[in-house]
Amino acid sequence: LGTSIIALTFDGGVILGADSRTSTGNYIANRASDKITPLCDNVYTLRSGSASDTQAIAGYVQHFIAQHQAEEGDQVTVKTVANLVKMMAYNNKDFMQAGLIVAGFDKHGGGQVYSISLGGTVTATPFAMSGSGSTYINGFCDKYWRENMSEQDAMEFITRALRYAMTWDASSGGCIRTVTITAAGVKRQFIQGSQIPPTYGELPRQQVVA
Amino acid sequence: MSIFSYNGAAIVAMAGKECVAIGSDLRFGVQMQTITCDTPKVFKIHDKLYLGLSGLLTDAQTLHQKLMFRHNLYKLREERDMKPSTFGHMLSNALYERRFGPYFAAPVVAGLEPDGTPFLCGMDTIGAIETAKDFMITGTSPESLYGMCESMWRPDMEPDELFETVAQCLMSGFDRDALAGWGAVIHVITKDKVISRTLKTRMD
Repeated sequence: LGTSIIALTFDGGVILGADSRTSTGNYIANRASDKITPLCDNVYTLRSGSASDTQAIAGYVQHFIAQHQAEEGDQVTVKTVANLVKMMAYNNKDFMQAGLIVAGFDKHGGGQVYSISLGGTVTATPFAMSGSGSTYINGFCDKYWRENMSEQDAMEFITRALRYAMTWDASSGGCIRTVTITAAGVKRQFIQGSQIPPTYGELPRQQVVA
Repeated sequence: MSIFSYNGAAIVAMAGKECVAIGSDLRFGVQMQTITCDTPKVFKIHDKLYLGLSGLLTDAQTLHQKLMFRHNLYKLREERDMKPSTFGHMLSNALYERRFGPYFAAPVVAGLEPDGTPFLCGMDTIGAIETAKDFMITGTSPESLYGMCESMWRPDMEPDELFETVAQCLMSGFDRDALAGWGAVIHVITKDKVISRTLKTRMD
């Protein structure tokens, strides 16, 4: 999964965003894949790395969290889900290649983002990016991210960041999918490739002739 | 990692009614990182002869420079431009000279012979030449490009139709290739002019 994934907290919840390209080598196997997977009603995960490894982890976590939720009788906290994902990644670290970002909303901590990297490290941060495309937007995100943005600003920030990542990283592309999680619930959005504003290449330049 | 997919390219050439068209994508990248979007892989040799080179870009550029040199000398001696068929065979010979240390480039030659008939040929990295009457492709996703060209090519297309067909085959072909794309340039060669058009495409 060469990928660009990003999640950030805003004033009232979290937004998760991802591109939609799955490539095997340089062939684009799926140009409209969905890398945002629900783990429970209020917690979603963004998947990067090996597609099969991340799908397997998500499957196990969905199962165990459903059991845990039944026992709790209440909304599961984002931290619990993140820890469970970490256990999967850490205990199988020799066999896995999975970088996941777990993000969600619970009434105790509000919107939270946890990044789980290759070996099983969990880091709680206000925003997180992962995948091969994230390297190209480190500078951009450091400059333009602000704490407690409005939902609209956060959405614009994510689409802009992903758009740059998709332009520069060959293994990211397609369309932008986002999921917004707030106290009110979950909202999925989809931005077609043709609706993504252009970046490099649209600037006026000299006619290219051999 | 294959040396042929280090940079990435997509090149399509097609023959029509007394015209040929050749186009390439514009991406220059190093493995998965894209560096620029204004690097064509099709080079002009003379008014009626264009050369497309896929594979390792440094070898493509060097081969182009060496061939320009040989063509310039030829023009001084013969006082005329080289015929496309002659050029194709010269290129094949130049590649085979380096049989055991080859240029990592796969060329496509597209041009009009002096009598106006289209000429298309392609080669592998060590110069095995094959001529075609319909189309020739090369690049990092040959399967996608072959599929598009086989379905879309028809005989005796006029220059405008030919441009549309090459454009659609090239774009749909490289939209499934992570290493090619980011714009395209297509040259349509007819007996009195060459029309070059740059296409705006998906930039991912």
